[in-house]
Amino acid sequence: MRQVGIVGIGHTKFGRMDFDLVDIMSWAALEAMKDAGITDGIDQVFVANMGGSAINHQTGIASSLVSRIFLEPAMAELIENGPASGSSAVKCGYMAIASGMADVVLVVGGERMREVTGWKATDFVATLSHPDAEYAYGLTLPAFAGIFARAYVERYGLTEKHLATLAVKAHRNASLNPFAHIEESATLSGIWDGPHRDVVNPIMADPLRLYDFCPVSDGAAAVVLCGLDVASRFTKHVPVRIAGIGQATDTHCVHNRADMLDLKAVRMAAERAYAMAGIGPKEISLAELHDAFLILEVAESEEVGFFERGQAKAAIERGETEVTGRIPINTSGGLKAKGHPVGATGVSQIHELVKQLRGQAEAGRQVAEPKFGLAVNFGGFGNNVVATILAKE
Amino acid sequence: MVSTRDLYAEDRNVYAYRCPKCGVLYHPAPMVCKGCRNRRDPSEAVFPDFEKVPMGGPCRLLSWTRIYALPEGIDRPSIAFGIVEFDNGLRAAGQLMVADPQSGARLIAKSGLVRELVGRDFYGLQLFEA
Ligand SMILES: [Zn+2]
Repeated sequence: MRQVGIVGIGHTKFGRMDFDLVDIMSWAALEAMKDAGITDGIDQVFVANMGGSAINHQTGIASSLVSRIFLEPAMAELIENGPASGSSAVKCGYMAIASGMADVVLVVGGERMREVTGWKATDFVATLSHPDAEYAYGLTLPAFAGIFARAYVERYGLTEKHLATLAVKAHRNASLNPFAHIEESATLSGIWDGPHRDVVNPIMADPLRLYDFCPVSDGAAAVVLCGLDVASRFTKHVPVRIAGIGQATDTHCVHNRADMLDLKAVRMAAERAYAMAGIGPKEISLAELHDAFLILEVAESEEVGFFERGQAKAAIERGETEVTGRIPINTSGGLKAKGHPVGATGVSQIHELVKQLRGQAEAGRQVAEPKFGLAVNFGGFGNNVVATILAKE
Repeated sequence: MVSTRDLYAEDRNVYAYRCPKCGVLYHPAPMVCKGCRNRRDPSEAVFPDFEKVPMGGPCRLLSWTRIYALPEGIDRPSIAFGIVEFDNGLRAAGQLMVADPQSGARLIAKSGLVRELVGRDFYGLQLFEA
């Protein structure tokens, strides 16, 4: 099959952006094209977005974006796969090039969620749950995270200190990432064992606390993909190769999984990506895992094979997932602290891996000599998951 | 395709759906039986609908949470949710009406008003101490 590489990356700052959704996405797209050293020559555009119609009252977003940055007559589609839209769009870009239908593809993911209240944004994301058997009850994604976390804590003995340690890591990494939503660092004494813990870090979805959750963010990220056989058109950077992509789905309703802690779609997506790349978890130098809730970083790090079931907590205690650890996770700050504009997130994860593999990450969060990076983009409450492996050429 | 809840909006029961061909129970209703691939037709125009079996009764709490950022249409200071398993193996999510829940506890599920939105009341499973 035709090999595909990434030759350009772009990102807006995540946070609150009082600009039009398509303007936000256009900014990231133009940054990626600038990074690739091109102003045109895009055959196909894939746009990842979940809430354009529901939140921003905008449809036909891919066509709108193409026109706003004068990429006509490029082919263009919107890809919606919930919070995994970004990686799905990258996958579509890969397929378009691998099939020979396109040589150069622009993938842009973006979201503008802070236009509405926090509750409306949470409600919007909750619409991806089952309308009758879940959503109607008032179940939200944070509620599912709480239910999942309790089961995990009770089975494996994970403590609040483990999660707080991950929060401190996420905030630290984000504080070094110029694109991150959250700029402040956090300390264990502030959020875990300090006298004001319950004020600073209150319970939100028992047993999870405020610092276990990602913020609601606006923002966009973009990448330029090309066939490696035409990569000589791009001279600014050595392409980062897309070595493997895997995806899997699971039951829509969380209650219909035989074991609710078994994130089968995460495991299968990762296994498929490893098989395609011809490597295993031991070869991965760093990973961006979908930590909309920190408990997911814990569970995903086990499902993708970094640690045995229930052993992530020991790895956290040993600092193995810190930037300088054995398998650095979420060097960007993750969704937890970099932010989570849902449609942008999967593309943003790829952006971070490319930056790391190029050796361009900021001092203090650059991983030493990475070769392979893994991204896990988690849609629904784990019912549609995309794993992507990038390789330094 | 309208949802089952739209069809039975006046019906305050929560149902499981039994495949008439092989007897397997589902919640919520699928459009085809996973095992025997027998199709379900909610309009009953082409195929019979699956048999509706009211849900409720004794169950066991598998896990739970209590959230403090409340959805629209729920007028309580906090709300708890649980996932339960009934004695026949069927599982469901429900609103947990127990002050001090414990995973593994025996509960009783009953249908009740779970959410009031403008022009629309939702009935669903509520989970009480056994
Ligand atoms: Zn059947």
